[in-house]
Amino acid sequence: MHEDSITANVAEWTEANAEHTDQSAERAWAHPGILWGVFAIPEEQIGALPDSVDGLDVVELGCGTAYFGAWLAKRGARVTGVDPTPAQLETARRMMAATGLEFPLVEAPAEQVPLPDASFDLAVSEYGASLWADPYTWVREAARLLRPGGRLVFLTNSTLVYLTAPEDENEQVGTELLRDMFGMYRIRWEGAVGIEYHLSHGDWIALLRENGFEVEALHEPRPQPGAVDPSYYDFVTVEWAGKWPAEEIWVARKT
Amino acid sequence: MSSAEDDRVAANVAQWTKTNREFTDADAERQWRDPKIYWGEFDVRDEWLGDVAGLDVVELGAGTAYFSAKLARAGARPVAVDPTAAQLATARRLQQETDLEFQLVEAPAERVPLPDASFDLAVSEYGASLWADPERWLAEAARVLRPGGRLFFLTMSTLAHLCTPDEDQQPIGNNLVRPQFAAWETRWDGYLGAEFHLSHGDWIRLLRANGFRIDALHELQAPPEAKTHEYYFLISADWARRWPGEDLWECTKTR
Repeated sequence: MHEDSITANVAEWTEANAEHTDQSAERAWAHPGILWGVFAIPEEQIGALPDSVDGLDVVELGCGTAYFGAWLAKRGARVTGVDPTPAQLETARRMMAATGLEFPLVEAPAEQVPLPDASFDLAVSEYGASLWADPYTWVREAARLLRPGGRLVFLTNSTLVYLTAPEDENEQVGTELLRDMFGMYRIRWEGAVGIEYHLSHGDWIALLRENGFEVEALHEPRPQPGAVDPSYYDFVTVEWAGKWPAEEIWVARKT
Repeated sequence: MSSAEDDRVAANVAQWTKTNREFTDADAERQWRDPKIYWGEFDVRDEWLGDVAGLDVVELGAGTAYFSAKLARAGARPVAVDPTAAQLATARRLQQETDLEFQLVEAPAERVPLPDASFDLAVSEYGASLWADPERWLAEAARVLRPGGRLFFLTMSTLAHLCTPDEDQQPIGNNLVRPQFAAWETRWDGYLGAEFHLSHGDWIRLLRANGFRIDALHELQAPPEAKTHEYYFLISADWARRWPGEDLWECTKTR
């Protein structure tokens, strides 16, 4: 089911890396804080991650250019970045050489991670596996990789964005519900190369429970006053995101 | 109770005294005599409660107590709690007509005059779940449940609320017409009562803060044969076949 989306998403992110993520990697890696999503909301305002990541074994699933992993590594985490797109991992390696901040990178889809069972304390995905990997496979992998008591924290688009996004990927979300919620799972937007996966909140909870997770939080962040419209990921405006959550962050603990 | 809470409880008692006269009194007999357990306006058959025989059950915001009556028929020992005397009078009439006797308690779910740790199951089907202050009634549900006790509550879905027009008696449409980032308490023109509408993230936070584990969020879909409700018609059956009109939360008290 997901083999075609892995190929499609590697193509999508090779293109996106050439257009945007390669050149934005230096700024992202250099940022002193931990930021979430297209509105760059500081972690201090959300509190989705453990208070300290110092000394934690962390796997980032769908790390792209690994800027999120870099932020955690700067705080003492032992990070491993996993991504299927060679071009983005190449950018990550260039940033490691430039910054001296080194951690392992593994070229693999989050649906099949070549790392041992029970070897991590924290699994994160910020617009990575959370949106572009098949949840029924990657959540199982996250559960396998985590030690008992380990945490899974991931950010993806909100259900409301999925429901209100026009078919054309270049248009912005509005207020009309354009597609059904029952049956939501997998979608390729018009004009897009990649394939996204979206689940309803009830389905996320069921999937997390089936994989031995306890749901600790669903953060629905709102941009800070003074936030600006995203320039590259421009599917949503600050005005919209001030009324409805454009993104959601799930926090779950493996029991 | 604060005076704001007194005022709100009084407003809801006035609303449900009116609704009982208009609809719930006349509808009670049909519900009391049908042993099948349904959830919500579209009669979704229960498949989650399991065997309730022998369980001590409290229903919070029971109205005419038809849900408790069904649980009593299934062998549970219910106690039905509601602040509206007129609805409890209807419940008493049905108890005499059906010989199904159980305790009825006239009280708001914010302040339940029942002892700590005395129930195995707390339920609210369009009761406290929509018309009581969630910070207060969830604390009460947690207090009266035994460790390991379960909480099931059904309320209008967050999505249906966001699509509810301001105009009285206007059906819910296909557009987001009110922000999610807003106060929980909602008062409608032409409607006496006060409702509480929370985002899923807020429900999860409150449930966790009160010692509940989130077992499931069942986003109910109207069955193919379901028709729009004759009295509660704001959510049409067609709408509720595309998007969930009702959320059923399933939780366990763990501490």
